[in-house]
Amino acid sequence: MKKIGLVLLLSAALVMTAVGCSNSSSSEARKSDDGRIKVTFWHAMSGASGELISKMADDYNKKQDKYEVDAIFQGSYEESLTKLKTVGGTAEAPTLMQVQEIGTKYMVNSGYVQPVQDFIDKDKFDLSQWEENILSYYQIDGKLYSFPFNTSNAILIYNKDKFKEAGLDPENPPNTFGEIRAAANKLTNDANNEKGFALLVYGWFIEQLIANQGADFVDNGNGRDGLATKSLLDSPESLGIFEWLNDMNKEGTLGNYGRKWDDIRAAFSAGKVAMYLDSTAGIAGVMKASPFEVGTGFLPTPDGKEPNGVIVGGASLWLMNSVAEEEKEGAWDFTKYVTEPAVQAEWAAGTGYFPITKAAHEEKLLRDKYAEAPPFLTTVKQLQLTKPGTATRGALISVFPETRNEVATSIEKLYQGDEPKKVVDELTAKVNKLIEEDNKINAPK
Amino acid sequence: MSPIGKDLPRNKDSGLRLLTVGLLYLSPMLIFMLVFTFYPMLKTLYYSFYTTNAHGIPVLFVGLDNYIQLFQSDSFLTSLRGTFLYVLYTVPLGVAIAFFLAIISSERLRGIQFFRVIFSSTIGVSVAAGSMIFLFLFHPSIGFLNHVLDWIGLAPIHWLTNPKWALISVAATSVWMGIGFNYIILLGGIQGIPEDMYESAKIDGAGYWVRLFRITLPMVSPTLFFVIIVTVIHSFQSFGQIDILTKGGPAESTNLIVYSIYQNAFIHYKFGIASAQAIILFLIVLIATIIQFKVGEKKVHYQ
Repeated sequence: MKKIGLVLLLSAALVMTAVGCSNSSSSEARKSDDGRIKVTFWHAMSGASGELISKMADDYNKKQDKYEVDAIFQGSYEESLTKLKTVGGTAEAPTLMQVQEIGTKYMVNSGYVQPVQDFIDKDKFDLSQWEENILSYYQIDGKLYSFPFNTSNAILIYNKDKFKEAGLDPENPPNTFGEIRAAANKLTNDANNEKGFALLVYGWFIEQLIANQGADFVDNGNGRDGLATKSLLDSPESLGIFEWLNDMNKEGTLGNYGRKWDDIRAAFSAGKVAMYLDSTAGIAGVMKASPFEVGTGFLPTPDGKEPNGVIVGGASLWLMNSVAEEEKEGAWDFTKYVTEPAVQAEWAAGTGYFPITKAAHEEKLLRDKYAEAPPFLTTVKQLQLTKPGTATRGALISVFPETRNEVATSIEKLYQGDEPKKVVDELTAKVNKLIEEDNKINAPK
Repeated sequence: MSPIGKDLPRNKDSGLRLLTVGLLYLSPMLIFMLVFTFYPMLKTLYYSFYTTNAHGIPVLFVGLDNYIQLFQSDSFLTSLRGTFLYVLYTVPLGVAIAFFLAIISSERLRGIQFFRVIFSSTIGVSVAAGSMIFLFLFHPSIGFLNHVLDWIGLAPIHWLTNPKWALISVAATSVWMGIGFNYIILLGGIQGIPEDMYESAKIDGAGYWVRLFRITLPMVSPTLFFVIIVTVIHSFQSFGQIDILTKGGPAESTNLIVYSIYQNAFIHYKFGIASAQAIILFLIVLIATIIQFKVGEKKVHYQ
């Protein structure tokens, strides 16, 4: 009977696919077309930064003939991490993966990774030239798990022309919450729908503003001394930020441009908002897009409080443990190349990210860039003035992506008219629950 | 023995044989349904009673806890309310506009083909492309809609960043995108009505409105019924436009149930909660469809 034949064929096809799936966990190194060992590098950089990464990989591939780095853009940090979750721990995983700073704890617990410390020890690689502030973020119990790659922090960006029009000193940006509020009042022009100040609806800025006051985000030394059990989002430091935003919102001087980086940047470049907080990584793009002179200032603090400094933001490179040894060697070799001063200088000058090694600052390319575009220097100064401590080393929790989402939602509720105290209390309860549930399930026992 | 008695065992035998052969004929479809529909559904049900770890593996049996937690969480209730509102915004309006367009373009006029192509064109626009178009229209500072408002002297509206407007903006996008499909189906339904019915009505002296309400509407009602059911289900399952336009924000006002499932499952890796949500959504759609069949079927006129 023909039909039985068809059924058999179909079942056979199913079995074959099933076998095909399970047959993929070999530790053979992947090879490029010309027989070199292929290092698959997943990154999350689009636009100008993405092009620079491709160039980095091309330059490296031309420089030597043993390895070939294949740099693949896998969507935003969130999207690429989601993709990694589906292949992590298998031979299909990338060799090298760029993960956002808040994914650190998740990655450490995931069991997918090979700590780069293993290679550092084996190679006796010298880390003394590295910025301590950056290293300290990624060191857990004295061990470096991943290679810091692109680091940024939060800064104030403002429109110098608007400052002049409003009678403010364009060379002297506001430094405190009170000063920003006062300046925002002068800079707001209701007739043209121009707002004085805006904050991207993104949890990262709240983290930075809390750290700048020397306060922790979660308990147990920001989750560095032991497993974090509670969020500290209801601290006076955190509440103060929400009250500050609420005051400006009530006065009508605060713009809301949603959760997208591009939208708030477009609003700034179009002159719709005079001051906003951005990542240092955005400076290059904003300066290019704005038809006026762009100024940068330090991250503000509450009045009368000395700035404590910022948390290192950005991302680091992780080695996967499920791929062939030769591939790992290649990835290690590539990361060493990436941290060479000349490569770092080119990367920093092209993006606004912060060079990881001190030597990069001595490169002519970067010095020229700083001389030509002083706003870049703000980011360097801000990081170098940062006081080391648990606050500025940043919190370690694995539910960070969810937490950021909750923080963003709470900012939106505040803008909608909820009272700061209520917003902060609800937020803390939600984040506490996230941490508690995660500890119950995922904590190492 | 009588011929009937002789036939009985043979009949039984052939019944079994028929069933086997029938199953064999159906087997390609059955296998695919088993593998890609029923198995995932059962697995979803199974997951909904568990909590998963960071790798998405179920590790802790929690019984009905996921469901209880959901109904106690403000976020989920907001999400449910948002979903129902969204269905309410999109379905009646989307079907009404498409029906109106189908009626006016079913007339035999010169060049009507051109309008038919235009009215049905949104069927060729993918959700992603359509959402991108609206993203530019809705842009908070440089968007076209706010330029128009500015030009006629009105204050700009924060289409996607104000919780009061966001759901309406997303719904408007969905209505626009759904028109093409609804229009084509409804136009097909209207054109399938035999011409002689209109002719005899005309001879009896029926005017345009009488013909519309007494002939067109009843005759097209099965098509309309189909369109409504499909649009309701489709509406409950909207995802792409939300992902592109608002990502569930602001203040969770557009965090509709499917988007919330996506977030829980593929961003937070909480398959347990996400599966419970999926089961709840399945039940809601099932009940909504049953109600529509019970209520709608009576009003539908089949020839």
